Formats: sequence, structure tokens, C-alpha cells
Amino acid sequence: MKELVDYIVKGLVDSPDDVNVYEENAYGSTILEISVGGDDMGRVIGRRGQVINSIRTIVKAASTNSQERYTVELLES
Amino acid sequence: MSQQKRKFEARSASVDEAIRAGLAALDLKKDEVTIEILDEGSRGLLGIGSRDAVVLLTALEPEFAEEEVEEVEVVEEPAPESEPEPGPELVEEVADEVEEEAETAVAPSSPPQPVEEEAVPVDYQYDDGSEEAVALEVVRAMFDRMGVETTVTLRTTDVDEKTGKITPVIDVRGSNLSPFIGQRGDTLSTIQYLARLIVANTRGTRAYFVIDIDGYRERREQALARLAERMAGKVIDRQHPISLEPMPPQDRRIIHITLREMDGVYTSSTGEGSRRKVQILPAK
Repeated sequence: MKELVDYIVKGLVDSPDDVNVYEENAYGSTILEISVGGDDMGRVIGRRGQVINSIRTIVKAASTNSQERYTVELLES
Repeated sequence: MSQQKRKFEARSASVDEAIRAGLAALDLKKDEVTIEILDEGSRGLLGIGSRDAVVLLTALEPEFAEEEVEEVEVVEEPAPESEPEPGPELVEEVADEVEEEAETAVAPSSPPQPVEEEAVPVDYQYDDGSEEAVALEVVRAMFDRMGVETTVTLRTTDVDEKTGKITPVIDVRGSNLSPFIGQRGDTLSTIQYLARLIVANTRGTRAYFVIDIDGYRERREQALARLAERMAGKVIDRQHPISLEPMPPQDRRIIHITLREMDGVYTSSTGEGSRRKVQILPAK
């Protein structure tokens, strides 16, 4: 799942080299934390959060058949 | 069902209130009736010119449920010339049925569908940088990382009669893909939205390609066109407008296009954002 988020975010930004996705496990749920270059924050959030929420929707769809639950967060830079 | 009252026209300040009043009058629950919104009402300006909302509630016939099942089953067959009129029905329910038809055909138990002729993969250069080449690569990469096995191919639509444009279509096929279609195709739309953004960012220009999963879009289009025709027939018979349930833009577009050439009705959209819906009205 981390690879999916990493791929999508790198495809959206101007500076893919500054993209990192960290995986953190917390009580049966996995938190995927996205970090991007400061200038790319807006790209990943999107108008009214449309982009980041779309990423969450896809992650949710991709985890339908697994036991894992994922949360996607964007780290402030 | 006994000889109890089966139809009730209720009016009130709002549609919701009118429905509630009507249900109370019939002593039925919401899923036991069909609801037609005859007039959405209007608040008017400062109470001047306000109009009550009017709804028509009709008790469901017991045989209705069976007919619905039948229709779902014949989903793979070509549409019959004239469909049996299923009687009064809840507009929302019909749209659910449309959804169900599409979903049913996705079920893994359905026989493998023959790949349409135009779905034969086009021979093209992977790295020619064209929208379709990049799109194909991006969609493949996304589904690979979603942990599902899929076959992703490229085709193009026929030339659009109005715009003369050809749109690239990325077909994704596999088993158990319904989570990626989602309710009314909204997950599919989300995937398409992100894939278009990535392709646009990669190429530095807007992307217009369409993604389809297991032929969902095509089936939904056909089901929506049938729904539009059935409802238009009803509008002509009764000479009052029918509002369909809220739909995304591409679905509303299909309703508008289907009924564009039809005599006796015209269509318009009302409501804002995700509540926007098509109204079919009798031509004046």
C-alpha cells in the first residue's frame, strides 16, 4: 500500500525526489504519512482536499479484501 | 394486499415533510411505497409566491419485487423491444436497480465476457509520450500497486458525432474488481481523476482519457438510457414532471442525450453539487 501512495504522490508533484511515505503501525491499523516538498503541499491536498481525499478513497478500495486498515496523513512541511 | 388506500398525494412546505405526511396517511414505511415528486415546491421570496411541495405515494405491489429480480437477471441479454411496464416505482429504487444491474454483471460468477472487437490492444509505442501511452502505463502501475491482478488494455471510442473527437479508453479487467468501481462508479471516477492528474503532470498538458473497469461504464450507460426512456414514457402519459435521483455529471449527460431527440419531453438539471439531478418534463 505504501508503494501505491508513493507512486501516486510522486506522479502529482513537481519534485518527486522530495517525496517520502512513512509507514507506522498502531493497534491493527497502519498510518501512511506523506511528506512532500513545501511547494508541493497544495498539489497533494488539492482544492478543498479533493486530491488527498481521492488518495484515501483508493487506499480504502485497495484494502477492502485485507485485514489491514489504513489511514493516510499528510505531514506539514 | 387488502382494499386499503394505495395512493396518496401529499403536499407540504418541503418534499421531506410531504413524504412523511403521506407515509403517515397510508400507514406505510418508506420502502413500501414508490415516491414521485410532482412538485418540489418553492420558498418564494419573503414568503411571497411560495409553493407547496407535492409528492405522490403509491403502495408497492407485491409482484413488483419479483419483476425487479427478473430484470436484474436478464442483464446480459440485449434489451427486449418493449419492456413490461413494472408499474409505479420509486425513482430512487430504479436507479439502484440500474446500479445493481451493472454490479451483478461484475460478479465473479458471471461467465467471462467476450472482449469487444474494438478492445483489441492497439499496437503503439510505449514511450512515444502520447496521452494514451502514458495513461496506459500509469493505470497499469496503479493497479499493480493495489495488489490486484488485472489486464489493462487501450482502445479508443468511436468519433463523437458532435465534437469529432476520439477519446482514449483504458480498459481494466480482472476478477473481484467491484471495490474499485464503488457505489455508482464513484471509486472508478476517483481512480480516473487521480490517473488523469498524474498523466497531465507527466506530460504538462490536460488529459481526457477514460478508465473503464470490466465494462462497467458501458453497462451503466445502457441501463441509464433504458431508465430515461421508461421515465419519459411515464411523463408523457401523466403529463407531470418526474425528478430522477441525484447523479454524477456523466450520468446526467446520458439522460439528457437519450431524451434530446424524444418528442413530448424535455430535460433540465436542478440542485447543486452532489445533489444535482435531472428532471424530465412534459413538453409544452
